[in-house]
Amino acid sequence: MTLEKLKKHFPWITLLTLVVFVGALDSNFLRPENLLQLAGDISTLFVMALGITFVIYLGGIDLSAQSVANMTTVLATLMLPIFGASTAVICVLIGALFGFVSGFVSTKLKVPSFIATLAVGGIALSVGQFASGQRALYMDAVLRDQSFSWLTGNIGGIPREMIIALVLLVGALILERRTTIGRAFKAIGAGELAAVASGLRVGRYKMAAFAISGAFAATAGLLFAVKLSGGSPEMANGFLLPAIVAVLVGGTPLTGGVGGVLNTLIGALIVAVIRTSMLYLEIPATAQQIFFGVVLIAAIAFTIDRGKVRTVK
Amino acid sequence: MFELKKVEKTFPNVRALKAIDFHIERGEIVGLVGENGAGKSTLMKVIYGAYQHDGGEVLINGKPVRFENPRQAMDKGVGMVFQEQSLIGNLTVMENIFLGFERQFVKFGIVDWKKMAAAARHQLAKVKLSIDPKMVTSKLSFAQRQLVELAKVLTLEERVHGDLVILLDEPTSVLAKEEVQLLFKLVRELRSRASFIFVSHRLDEVLELSDRVYVMKDGEVVDHVKTSVATAESIQHKMVGRDINKEYYREEKQLSYDPAKVLVELDAISLPGKYQDISLTLHAGEVLTLVGTEGSGREAIIRTIFGMQKPQSGSVTVKGRKITTYSADAAVANGIGYIPRERKIEGIVAGMSVYENLTLSQMGRYSRFGFLRIGDEKALAREWIKKLSVKASSEYADCGNLSGGNQQKVVLAKWRSGGSDIILLDHPTRGLDIGAKEDVYEMVRAMSADGVGVILIADTLEEAIGLSHTIAVIKDGEIQKRFDGKPGHKPSLFDLIHYMI
Repeated sequence: MTLEKLKKHFPWITLLTLVVFVGALDSNFLRPENLLQLAGDISTLFVMALGITFVIYLGGIDLSAQSVANMTTVLATLMLPIFGASTAVICVLIGALFGFVSGFVSTKLKVPSFIATLAVGGIALSVGQFASGQRALYMDAVLRDQSFSWLTGNIGGIPREMIIALVLLVGALILERRTTIGRAFKAIGAGELAAVASGLRVGRYKMAAFAISGAFAATAGLLFAVKLSGGSPEMANGFLLPAIVAVLVGGTPLTGGVGGVLNTLIGALIVAVIRTSMLYLEIPATAQQIFFGVVLIAAIAFTIDRGKVRTVK
Repeated sequence: MFELKKVEKTFPNVRALKAIDFHIERGEIVGLVGENGAGKSTLMKVIYGAYQHDGGEVLINGKPVRFENPRQAMDKGVGMVFQEQSLIGNLTVMENIFLGFERQFVKFGIVDWKKMAAAARHQLAKVKLSIDPKMVTSKLSFAQRQLVELAKVLTLEERVHGDLVILLDEPTSVLAKEEVQLLFKLVRELRSRASFIFVSHRLDEVLELSDRVYVMKDGEVVDHVKTSVATAESIQHKMVGRDINKEYYREEKQLSYDPAKVLVELDAISLPGKYQDISLTLHAGEVLTLVGTEGSGREAIIRTIFGMQKPQSGSVTVKGRKITTYSADAAVANGIGYIPRERKIEGIVAGMSVYENLTLSQMGRYSRFGFLRIGDEKALAREWIKKLSVKASSEYADCGNLSGGNQQKVVLAKWRSGGSDIILLDHPTRGLDIGAKEDVYEMVRAMSADGVGVILIADTLEEAIGLSHTIAVIKDGEIQKRFDGKPGHKPSLFDLIHYMI
């Protein structure tokens, strides 16, 4: 088996190796309730990573996801007393709008997606800061339970968050594998020029991918706000790096075209196991980003398709 | 002096070079000819260090060498004059000449420009070019830039001990006749300084300039002759490996087209810098070929019809409807299919299966409410795999792993299965082996018989003549001459070339 063929299987081999390794470190780790907790804790981050997957899948990057999620926690908290349960829909639409703007800037104004999303992320962050008045806001417990009880608690011992994340995964998977949009994403990621020459409206599909990513980021923010019963423009800080790491170590390279949302599930689990192992190894939480930064570089270097990258500037 | 012994180069799925034996002596000019895809470029890349051979030996004066990159080859005296010129437009001539080798002019970290200018003048004198070395390169003519490129390679003379081998890759392709003669005179004079490997598809020029000729076909050296005893016909025969006859281009299957049914009408379209005042008509069942040199504007015309470029004036009418929006998706909706020259980049999507590629241009037809009907897609793929005898393991096969000819079949099937009746073929046989080429010719005839209009940019002039009903010769963006290509009344190569250059 060649390295190329092995690459495809690398993500789940990594996951398995890590689980065995951490299990050997502390046998408590392998207890079902611990594993369930671990998966539950990663749900919000996973939802964000799911959205980013679509953008990376077609060869772009979304750096605005964390800021959009931050903004959403604030907006959701502020809107809850006014709109009740519809807050969820409005939040997701606002997220999609921010994503769409990133997509528009990157496809129509030809600004590379990393800088377009960085700028739009800056706007989102500032909207969050302005709207919150730089304070942490709290949801009214009664209102929250009235509108969002379906987002909290457990069903049969499984956290609802996790169930929602899985439902979103299934939706994303259908979108990726069964719809014309998903097929177009794949074509654009694997061979954009051929997609153009086949008459695909590449610009529109790209904008759609950014909008989807924005919607997922907003969903992640909403889940977060409900879970912590409040909002702050800093609530989701520290999510971006692990979310991108989840996509990349899952096997969707920065150059796009291969991988997909199922890979991101594995990637997110890898991130979860790494996080837990750091607890066992007594690495302070503040130092975790150092590690994720290093993993990110390694993951990009290993997965990137250099044939598609002519020059790097 | 410089020698290759049983040199091999293999890429995934392709044995690009098969046991190549090659040698060149001091002061010799050796020609290298072969059709597109015969392995000339690969061989050159091995010689100047861009590729590493994976079998056999490269020897200089009997000693085995291995070049990891072009710079190492240069250090041993092997230099390349690029066809697509490698000079950087916004640098001065002297900066280009000494690019990467500025250290010799540096004192205390500062470049001594006067010294560099003097050295550059010395190099330019070798190629008899009297221009100011401080000139910005982009202001030079094409021929002048080519000479600068040659001068750049000749700096090796001062840097390297031992003999020089200089590769000239299609150096004459865009030169005027007098410029070609000047270049040849210069190369002959430079024999005292270097040996030359001259790569060209213009056989007459190769015969005129070289002492010996290597003929390549399918990655092998199939012949090796002294030009004093060779004839163009015998070499051509070896290059193609067979007589080119009427059968080859399926002339007996050329039916007359339907002059009453107009598919595409270009009315005096112009796009400054690309083409001017182009008027053409494509009928059902017609093969209309655009003939011209590289950069004559043929490709821009085809891309305009496909909506990827917008003419500044004039109009494009497709099936009686004037085009207002220029976009590829509008063209596809009008039944236009484009088979681009860059098959692997614009034709197929590598990494996607045959069926995914087939429906890429027609996903609307194979989906309901945005959900793909994958079963139908696969059935379509199986049908066309059979119809065009595509050599693919199944409809799931990754198009990126198919051979060039089979990739071309998939691209063709994509448009044909979608019912496109205007097909734009840009170098459809480029890089294909003979059998695959014949398949393409067969498909062109089949399309004509079905009433499809084809606009073709052919890979060779013979192909253009053999396949077309109508030929438009284009030079500098303007139509020079139109020829009728009825079987038995086809124009000759000479007729065409006369208007091309």
